[in-house]
Amino acid sequence: MENKHQVPVTVLTGFLGAGKTTLLNRILTEQHGQKYAVIVNEFGEQGIDNDLVVDADEEVFEMNNGCICCTVRGDLIRILSGLMKRADKLDAIIVETTGLADPAPVAQTFFVDQDVANKTKLDAIVTVADAVHLSSQIEDHHEAEEQIAFGDVILLNKIDLVKDENIDVVTKRIRKINPFAKIIKTTKCGAPLKEILNLDAFSLKRILEVEPDFLESDHDHEHDDDVTSLSFVSDKPLDMEKFQNWFGKLLQTKGQDIMRTKGILDFKGENDRYVFQGVHMLMDASPMGKWPDDKERSSRLVFIGRNLETMNLKEGFEACKSE
Amino acid sequence: MTTDLNQFPQLDKTKFEQRGIQLEIGVPVTCAVSIGNYIAAGFGDGTIRIFSSGEKHKTLKAHKGVILCMAKDGDNILTGGDDGYFLKISLNGEINEVTNFGSRWVDHVAAHNGNLVCSSGKVVYYWDKNKKEPKSLNHDSTIGGLAFDAKGRRLAVSRYGGVTVWKKDYSNKWKSTKLDWKGSHNKVSFSPDGKYLVTSMQENVLRCWRLKDKLDFAMSGYGSKVKSFAFIHDTSYLATSGAIDAICWPFDGEGPMGRKPICLPYIGNKQVTFIEPFPDEKAIFAGLSDGSVFLSQIENENNTIIIRSFTGSEVSAIAMTDDKSSIFIGDMSGNTLWTSIWDQ
Repeated sequence: MENKHQVPVTVLTGFLGAGKTTLLNRILTEQHGQKYAVIVNEFGEQGIDNDLVVDADEEVFEMNNGCICCTVRGDLIRILSGLMKRADKLDAIIVETTGLADPAPVAQTFFVDQDVANKTKLDAIVTVADAVHLSSQIEDHHEAEEQIAFGDVILLNKIDLVKDENIDVVTKRIRKINPFAKIIKTTKCGAPLKEILNLDAFSLKRILEVEPDFLESDHDHEHDDDVTSLSFVSDKPLDMEKFQNWFGKLLQTKGQDIMRTKGILDFKGENDRYVFQGVHMLMDASPMGKWPDDKERSSRLVFIGRNLETMNLKEGFEACKSE
Repeated sequence: MTTDLNQFPQLDKTKFEQRGIQLEIGVPVTCAVSIGNYIAAGFGDGTIRIFSSGEKHKTLKAHKGVILCMAKDGDNILTGGDDGYFLKISLNGEINEVTNFGSRWVDHVAAHNGNLVCSSGKVVYYWDKNKKEPKSLNHDSTIGGLAFDAKGRRLAVSRYGGVTVWKKDYSNKWKSTKLDWKGSHNKVSFSPDGKYLVTSMQENVLRCWRLKDKLDFAMSGYGSKVKSFAFIHDTSYLATSGAIDAICWPFDGEGPMGRKPICLPYIGNKQVTFIEPFPDEKAIFAGLSDGSVFLSQIENENNTIIIRSFTGSEVSAIAMTDDKSSIFIGDMSGNTLWTSIWDQ
């Protein structure tokens, strides 16, 4: 499987009325010289008529791999393998999820099915948020919060309908849940497509490139079931064995509450930087070359999820520092 | 000089490739069936090519998109596509629409004795040969596969959570029995003797039910998803893809429980992706992920010959004519081989 070409797949999520259909119509109708297929839910907001639109059923099922939160989208496995048999090669595939659906099973499908993983790759999770209603939606529906938590890109849409100071409030609310997403403020989802598609946000290399000003170790402890984020930094190298034990166990036992993780790690005795990222229990990790000479070595990791304050993350992380 | 054993040796063309017709269509071959001494092959651009010995192959434009599935119905070809069409096509090239689901895909088709079935999403549609309108058989989840038993009395429908077996009772009403096993079931097949039902699952495993007492068991140990399997020589063996060997489970006597499969190895350490029986023999064609195809005798692993060498693309279809004279091979890049199997 050398030089395998993988079609990038963007997961598009967001609450009803936030503007997903507007964005999909733009993707399908704008003259961009690219061939995009769109997988929509049959119960979506309004019909989009196009040859490259595929109806899906959003069938989520559990894998029998002993991992309780490992749910995948069965319909996606079927549809993606069908799309890969097309004569014309697709430049990208966009999967729309309904407003109420948790985007995690879609992301997990790309980790779990070998055929899907060989021929396609998860590009990014794009969340369309309604600047007018997001704050109240977050209060009332945990799904709205989850969609923000999972997003690599958040299109904060309809800003023309909101006062500037309120935009700041909403932006801060988003940042509290998800410190690493790129927030693009739009009206009518009018962001350039190159800022939405083909971002490679799930590649480990990309994590290094957009090196995170978010990985600052500041957070406030709030004891409620809000989705929130915690990040940790250490200038002292970590002990690889201790880290693997702690982190492996953590994902195994708390993987349902931990929605996303990302990190760059400095292990004692290792010349390479280790980069990882995960969705719930599933994780992708790899050494990514030497530390640059002009940069201090340090370990940074971020968690996004629920009940993070109950997991003793700080203590666990501290205990991984090498003697 | 060192030799990398994982690199497939650069073979000269096989004698089958030399005497056969090789085409580079450039579009994935998605399916192929034999109809008498003809082979019909379906492609990712909606075309069908019909091969027969002594004639140039015929190309038909059948669907607007990918041909997802194919079956034979007497002398006709049945196809389902991602354009929503379920078509019946004669060997002369006459195309008839059975039905059209619009934007919904026709995922699976099957036929027995003039009765036609297809599935689209969660629904199976059954056309009795004497009736115009189909009967809908509903299921709770999307259908992974369809299969009639050898006599056409039972129709197995695989889905999430197991298999539904449909049968008409004496008053001609459809009755269903459920065989449950958690997980997503894809391809399904009855054994030719009607005693077993087998499915391949989303996980790297096969599930089997012995129908007389519904005893169920797993056949596992695969390195990847089992995409292709077939019963061989009536119900002597079940040959399967999904490993670097072709795995052949013994189904004679008391069945495979407690018995070891025969593992047929191939050079190159590539995954077996397609299995096609050699009719009436204890022998199989095995297609690999690198495009090579071998013919092996199950009970004599030394008796393996190479039919097609490396193309670099996964074998996605193999079909042999009913007179056992010729074979068609296709892969995911659209490389095809049509050749006689016997030396002149």
